[in-house]
Amino acid sequence: MTEQGHASYKSYWVVFVVLAVLTVLEIAVANRSLGIPRKPVALALITMALSKATLVGLFYMHLKSEKRALKLTVALPFLFPALYAVILIGEAGWRLIR
Amino acid sequence: MSAIATAASGSHSVAHALPVDEYFGNATVGKIGMWIFLLSDAFSFGGLLLAYGILRGGSEVWHHPGEPTLGIPFTAFLTFLLICSSVTMVLAVAAATEGNRKQTMLFLALTALGGAGFLTGQFHEYFGLFPGGHGLAHEGLIFGHSAYASTFYVTTSFHGAHVLTGTTYILITLARTAAGKTNANDVEVLGLFWHFVDLIWILVFTFIYLL
Repeated sequence: MTEQGHASYKSYWVVFVVLAVLTVLEIAVANRSLGIPRKPVALALITMALSKATLVGLFYMHLKSEKRALKLTVALPFLFPALYAVILIGEAGWRLIR
Repeated sequence: MSAIATAASGSHSVAHALPVDEYFGNATVGKIGMWIFLLSDAFSFGGLLLAYGILRGGSEVWHHPGEPTLGIPFTAFLTFLLICSSVTMVLAVAAATEGNRKQTMLFLALTALGGAGFLTGQFHEYFGLFPGGHGLAHEGLIFGHSAYASTFYVTTSFHGAHVLTGTTYILITLARTAAGKTNANDVEVLGLFWHFVDLIWILVFTFIYLL
């Protein structure tokens, strides 16, 4: 079992507030009428989304309090989709501007 | 399966107790199994999001004239609803760990309500719930007419299917908890699935709606 107690209750609410704030920030940044260049916006959005996903995994799915082997079992396979994303989406974009 | 055996033998969490493993500690077979399933499921979503990225990254015109834009404020509300349901789920798991059955049931019910709300919202977004209201399907976002429309429907409906599955899974666990047939591990494994559904939505919302 995962460790529970007052400390975890506090972390659940802290994570909730961070998720809510990041969501509001994302929506604000994505607003096209602000006229921010799209590339930094995209980078900021992807960073915030991945941070939110990581927070859910670590604190709500309790990965943080699991053993190292389970953490690695879950985390390492994502290197491959990340690699495919960079190569394949980059390639599609490159063909377009070439 | 083993939970039923547990209930039949009248003891709690004994059937799940395994010798502490050198690498996986006291993670149960159910938990490790759910994590492995979630990994495979994550790659399904990964494939869909990759296809979306490749199609969008390689297209000169993504959003064709006549196609509606996606409603961000409404979907942001749905996103918030899912985040709230993740909190109630984690509270249900905590209550189950403390052996508080009434609170476990209350939080599971609230989580199921959040899931049902999300599904209703998604139906409204697609087809329009109210008479005279317009869903995306009536406003010109037609599956098969453009990569924009098709990737949108495939990805969001695949996620919607997970919300439906998750809500059903919660309701089954709620009924079994009411009958005294679950233990903390069952609720924890259910929690993993539900948080995964929230986690995926965080990514889908950002990539499909905001980018």
